Amino acid sequence: MTNTILDPPATTPRESEVRAAGRLLITALEDEKPLSAARFNSMMVDRISDHEKLKAALFRLVDVTPMCRDTPEVADHLAALLGEIEDPGRGVRLMRRAAGSPVLAGATGMVARAGVKGMASRFIVGESVDDALGELAGMWRRGVASTVDLLGEATVTEREADAYAARCEQTLLALAAAAPSWPSRPHLENDMHGPVPRVNLSVKVSAMTPNARSDDPGRGAAGAADRLLGLLRAARDLDAHLHVDMESLDLRDTVTGLVFDLLSEPEFRDGPSVGMVMQGYLTDSPEELDRWLDWQNGSGRSTPLTVRLVKGAYWDHEVVEARQSGWVPPVFTDRSACDRNFEGLTRTLLSRLDLVRPAIASHNLRSISHAMAAAELAGGIDAIEFQVLRGLGDDIEKALAELGFRVRTYSPIGDLIAGMAYLVRRLLENTSNDSFLRARAGAENLDSLLVAP
Amino acid sequence: MNTFVNESLLEIRRRSVRDSLVESLAALDGELPIDARTVIGGTRSGGRELVSSDPGSPGTRVAEAGFSGAEEVAHAVEAAKRGTFAWGRLPADERVRTMRRAADGMRRERNRLTALIVRECGKPWGDADAEVCEAIDFIEYYAQQALALDRAPDLVQVPGERNHITYLPRGIVAVIAPWNFPLAISTGMTAAGLVTGNSVIYKPAEQSPGVGSEMVRIFLDAGIDPDAISFLPGDDTPGRLLVEHPSIQTIVFTGSCAAGLEINAQAARPAPGQTHIKRVVAEMGGKNCLVVDADADLDEVVPAAIDSAFGFAGQKCSAASRILVHEALYDQLSERLAGAVDSALVGQAENFGVDTGPVIDTESVERHRRYVELGSAEGTLLASQAEIPTGGNFCAPTVVADLPPGSELLTSEVFAPLVTLERVPSLEAAAAAIDSSAFALTGGLFTRNPEHARQFELASPVGNLYINRGTTGAMVGRQPFGGNRLSGTGSKAGGPGYLSYFVEPRVTCENTMRHGLVV
Repeated sequence: MTNTILDPPATTPRESEVRAAGRLLITALEDEKPLSAARFNSMMVDRISDHEKLKAALFRLVDVTPMCRDTPEVADHLAALLGEIEDPGRGVRLMRRAAGSPVLAGATGMVARAGVKGMASRFIVGESVDDALGELAGMWRRGVASTVDLLGEATVTEREADAYAARCEQTLLALAAAAPSWPSRPHLENDMHGPVPRVNLSVKVSAMTPNARSDDPGRGAAGAADRLLGLLRAARDLDAHLHVDMESLDLRDTVTGLVFDLLSEPEFRDGPSVGMVMQGYLTDSPEELDRWLDWQNGSGRSTPLTVRLVKGAYWDHEVVEARQSGWVPPVFTDRSACDRNFEGLTRTLLSRLDLVRPAIASHNLRSISHAMAAAELAGGIDAIEFQVLRGLGDDIEKALAELGFRVRTYSPIGDLIAGMAYLVRRLLENTSNDSFLRARAGAENLDSLLVAP
Repeated sequence: MNTFVNESLLEIRRRSVRDSLVESLAALDGELPIDARTVIGGTRSGGRELVSSDPGSPGTRVAEAGFSGAEEVAHAVEAAKRGTFAWGRLPADERVRTMRRAADGMRRERNRLTALIVRECGKPWGDADAEVCEAIDFIEYYAQQALALDRAPDLVQVPGERNHITYLPRGIVAVIAPWNFPLAISTGMTAAGLVTGNSVIYKPAEQSPGVGSEMVRIFLDAGIDPDAISFLPGDDTPGRLLVEHPSIQTIVFTGSCAAGLEINAQAARPAPGQTHIKRVVAEMGGKNCLVVDADADLDEVVPAAIDSAFGFAGQKCSAASRILVHEALYDQLSERLAGAVDSALVGQAENFGVDTGPVIDTESVERHRRYVELGSAEGTLLASQAEIPTGGNFCAPTVVADLPPGSELLTSEVFAPLVTLERVPSLEAAAAAIDSSAFALTGGLFTRNPEHARQFELASPVGNLYINRGTTGAMVGRQPFGGNRLSGTGSKAGGPGYLSYFVEPRVTCENTMRHGLVV
């Protein structure tokens, strides 16, 4: 089966069109107050990032803080982690002394813990779904949709998998109970395909089974099948959208195999609305996307498949695993090539609006501008959704909402311990030297960020 | 930094790779049983009474070999003496070229060798593939090291004299190999002997003559002098005779502590007519501890612990057999570990996704059963899976807790899928418990406090310490492997000093002054 349709819309925008879209976006961004919390946060992250060793030490502190039993233990870790920095500057020496001093350790630990908590609260919308409902409703009122993600520890037992699935179901119920009272926002709940569910939950297959194994996709899929099946039914009955997250490449075949298998059941022919995640940093992602489009085309499903296009959050893991094993890294190691691929995938998605709802998830101004311009050619503002991460894409979220796009913010819920792996991954992603946020912070003129990759 | 590059692992997560392995296993099954008869001077001979079988399906004949005895040992020693003369005098780079051809031979037959390890030893695919890579790595690494040894370091030179040091082969090496890494350890010990110019007489484990025989064939195909490598399958008779033999110079052994100590004692007594001191390189048992600090990330600890304790059914020398947990995390860890063990998959090694394959033989099954009984009598069985396949040598992965101090389970090597769990009040207490052990092979620590990691390292007697990862999977050149105390002779396989056990240095000083003239 091929993906060519009779009359594919032209989705390749001219550079002038991309720049025009980008200027719209930048103007909207500049409407923001210059000293927003988001700006301040990215400035801090930026300063820390200049010192690789300090960054590593502080990230490790963030990682371990929830496990510390008291504040002196936090200080103890801080002192030991800073002690690893071979060439400490004055600031690091002072911090180390404070953390190591019997008199100051308690206070230092308290400050450090408060700092970690503060940082976590930027990225995490609440400790529980009830906790988060107010904020989610507030976002909706501001013209921003959400997808909720339940943070959790890794699943290593059946009981943990059951608990995760139960939390997901409770969350769907709680959101479905709350959402009807949200005010009407037509562009968030309707597009060219028809209604877009207000309730949107992102789930992880690896959390639904302790049996996910890279060398046997069938085992993990079988282990998670009943739980995902239950959630698909719940989503269908509650008119909610269920989005299946992608994790590292080790589990891609597990995830896609399982989702396609279940969605092939006749009972899911007309719903629920389901999404998957395409990682543009994978070098084979164009072929993989073709495979997905073929599948959707032949599935006979009446609801389009939502495809969230991301660059991917496991880049370091993929590269390190490949280097240790002697493999060619499965991801682009050249940022421009990655960006070009992302744009190519964006256009492919927009050329198959008969099959998919594209959701472009990026904080890169160029990638977003390109998607805006391409969407304009493919079917207008209605053809596309943008997604951002809470705490990192806040200003982009506001700007895109202002421009009238459907924006959905990835909104994690969970406690501090469960959130750490997520938090560190996000921090890493956005302070690495390749980070798009950093590029933006450092750019002399924002126009230079719109140059074709 | 050494620029050595390890052989690339197979990317088993790709379906096409898995499919090709399955095909190779089917092709291999069509060839069974493997002819693994005795090889001396390049010629096969002898009986086929020694049969190896698939541990997951003991009715399958995998290889047929003979029981080598005194006569075979005598012939092999005669051949080896000739081999020492010819092979030992080749220039180092010529030997290295030949050895590298053997590495290429293994690369060419990679899938087949992997399949044979799966079949003869019940080793799951991922571990079997890693083992073939390790074998290739040993050959390549020792080749690199042999060349470095040949370009011996500069000695101090003054006017009027010329000083140089040469490393000579010691003579005949007896390699006595285990079944748990039937290819990698055999290849490593054999390659180290050969590349330095020794002749090798190789005695494979009784359980894995098929893999051993294929290794020898590959060495011979690569052009190793047929007199320089002999293959003596059998029970423990050929090994014992070799250890006693006056013409054997070096004994390289991997196996149990008892056998290693026996070899060491025997080798120390010179046989009549013996004109050298035998050297013993031994890798013996272990009782490896994984320690979990109060701040550890259990999301990382549980999978690492499961893999270290139950991967290849707990039959790696490096396997974790005791887990010592800080009391702050004990309850959480024991619950999660037990739950994880309950969902582990026990099955045939050839099935992808299996967590724990069969153990090597019925003796191991029986030993495991005895220790589980002891565990349930002296402590608590936290997890012991009820569902295991029938028909093969399968054991349920087992976690035993609440053992009294001094329990035999805390000191004896089980070499099967059983791990004990202990509560400790501090890292210092864990270190003290480890220090009281006679074994010191591998150890592990999970902590997020770098200061704790440094202190633990200082207190740790083990040969291989792993921080924030599992205790198995040492890589050639990256983690030279070997134990201290009663775990071994401290020699590090796959490390920079290993070849020194196989050579004797000779220093030559030449007076270059003649009648006041310096030449």
